Amino acid sequence: MNAFHFSDTPQRRHRVHRQPGSDQVVVDGKHVAVQALGGGRFRALLDGRPQQLHAVPDGDAVLVQWRGRAWRIERIDATRANAAAAGSEAGVSHAPMPGVVVSLQAAAGQRVSEGEALLVIESMKLQMTITAACSGTVQALPVAAGQTFQRGAVLAQVKPDEEAR
Amino acid sequence: MTDIRKLFIANRAEIALRIVRSARRLGIATVVPWHAQDRHGPALAEADETVQVFGEPPVSAWLDAAAMIRAALDSGCDALHPGYGFLSENAGFARAVAAAGLVFVGPDAAAIELMGDKISARKFALAHDVPVTPSADEADDPATFAERARAVGFPLLIKGAAGGGGKGMQIVRDGAALADAIAVARSESQRYFGDGRLFAERYVERPRHIEVQVFGDRQGHVIHLGERECSIQRRFQKLIEETPAPGLAGGLRDRICSAAVRLAQAAGYVNAGTVECIVSPDGEFFFLEMNTRLQVEHPVTEMVTGLDLVELQLRIAQGEPLPLAQADVRWHGHAIECRLLAEDADAGFVPDTGRVRLLRVPQGPGLRFDGGVTEGAPVTAAFDSMLAKLVTHGATRELALSRARQALADTVMLGVTLNADFLSRVLQHPAFAAGETDTGFIERHRDALKPAALSDAERRLLLAVAARALHEPAARPLSLPHAAMGAWRN
Repeated sequence: MNAFHFSDTPQRRHRVHRQPGSDQVVVDGKHVAVQALGGGRFRALLDGRPQQLHAVPDGDAVLVQWRGRAWRIERIDATRANAAAAGSEAGVSHAPMPGVVVSLQAAAGQRVSEGEALLVIESMKLQMTITAACSGTVQALPVAAGQTFQRGAVLAQVKPDEEAR
Repeated sequence: MTDIRKLFIANRAEIALRIVRSARRLGIATVVPWHAQDRHGPALAEADETVQVFGEPPVSAWLDAAAMIRAALDSGCDALHPGYGFLSENAGFARAVAAAGLVFVGPDAAAIELMGDKISARKFALAHDVPVTPSADEADDPATFAERARAVGFPLLIKGAAGGGGKGMQIVRDGAALADAIAVARSESQRYFGDGRLFAERYVERPRHIEVQVFGDRQGHVIHLGERECSIQRRFQKLIEETPAPGLAGGLRDRICSAAVRLAQAAGYVNAGTVECIVSPDGEFFFLEMNTRLQVEHPVTEMVTGLDLVELQLRIAQGEPLPLAQADVRWHGHAIECRLLAEDADAGFVPDTGRVRLLRVPQGPGLRFDGGVTEGAPVTAAFDSMLAKLVTHGATRELALSRARQALADTVMLGVTLNADFLSRVLQHPAFAAGETDTGFIERHRDALKPAALSDAERRLLLAVAARALHEPAARPLSLPHAAMGAWRN
């Protein structure tokens, strides 16, 4: 028995059990028959109509494509789940996409107001300004101008003015 | 007339392959450059030779005029095709190519220069009876630019004089936003084009982007191959293009096309070019700019005219006259092109990166897939996010549309988020089906274009397939070390 979730809804977990040696897979208590056709192709019925899907594993996750739409489905590893990030920490700006830093608009130690420009980034010909999510003091701008970064990388850390009560 | 024997293609991805194919049909040998971070282009396996080029970031290799020319000469080429983007509209490059003794497959440097500067192009258009929108040129008097921009009337557009492709442009709806818009446009223009000079022009509300394909030969003949509508855009970049423009009155179409020919003729234009215009809801048209190169969306024109535009380009570059007169051009049916981009359209069109793990290209009648990636290819922020173009043709617009929707559903690309389903939703939207297209389409219908939620049964279907795929050896994609080699050859 495995727990799976769609990458865009990690809170919603599904119980999935594959019966070895058969085409049957039990998902949340219901049976679905899936034929493997080779080359990443699969066939299954939906409301009695045959559907063709494609899927490739990607580590512990699977990329699935159906009718032009694609999803990433992850198998939950109990040990990793406990170490999951608590969501966005106050004052920390993460890169929304991979790219390069064009210019820094602030410096460590500087006081900034909410909405003030911290840095300008660019990716695939799109330029955008990362602004302070809250008023406070800039702790760090870890990526220098001209340096590249991946999606999710920390681009700025601002220590909020008010500490949690 | 001089036959081209060997052609250097100073480009990459889908257009490089496109050019290789037509050149090969004409018996011309081809050379395509590759970079350590771009070894997977489909053109590399089909070209006769490949040449490694260098540069960091990788795109700089294609922007290095001297290196491109040197690679062409070293590989024994006698001609160079710039494709689109990169140096294709750089007059200095065209000049340098010719000075190096290579035939430049495109217009003369003088025409590139004239049309490359938006301001001189507009003045030229006005002088030849081609209508333009009210505007203000910063260069006339930088100190009063903001004031004169205001006088153009709102809404207005601030853009870079030397720009293109949607970069360095800001829409301004009221006076309060003007100063900021000028600052951003200037910084973007300086960054992308090395030229921060700006101008302002009236922004037509609900404009339709209509462009005309023109061709000129060295004998002085200029013809048009009809119009294309490219109104489905986001961030000023085209996503869907079609021909003919739906619901465009015949008289208006003729006026736009003859204006385009008039402009090209007056400029002594040679080879392929596209005259871009905006058409207002009350049927007025205004010249926007002329692109002095082959356009990304040229396949839709090819599908309805039955012509090979790259072949025409090569023939004209060889000094041949146009093989047909205006009266010989015939248009059949309707064609639509969808640009498949590596981006999450439902998350604000955020670009995605990854590696193409699985690629299955749709096939069928009236369908053409111009792909720019192969299975195993990495998709990085180093290059443009367009991975492929899907083009369909039908006897009617409805047929072309339904073929496009089916083809989008049949396209399999796993490993990087594709905008295919978003494009399908656009094509299915009743306003699109009714031909109510203008450049604000995507923004206006944003809520209706959101994806439908999955039903529980659909979720179970996907989860079941995922479970099977994790255990299915046949589903394993091409082993990564082999895929990573790309199409490298000695």
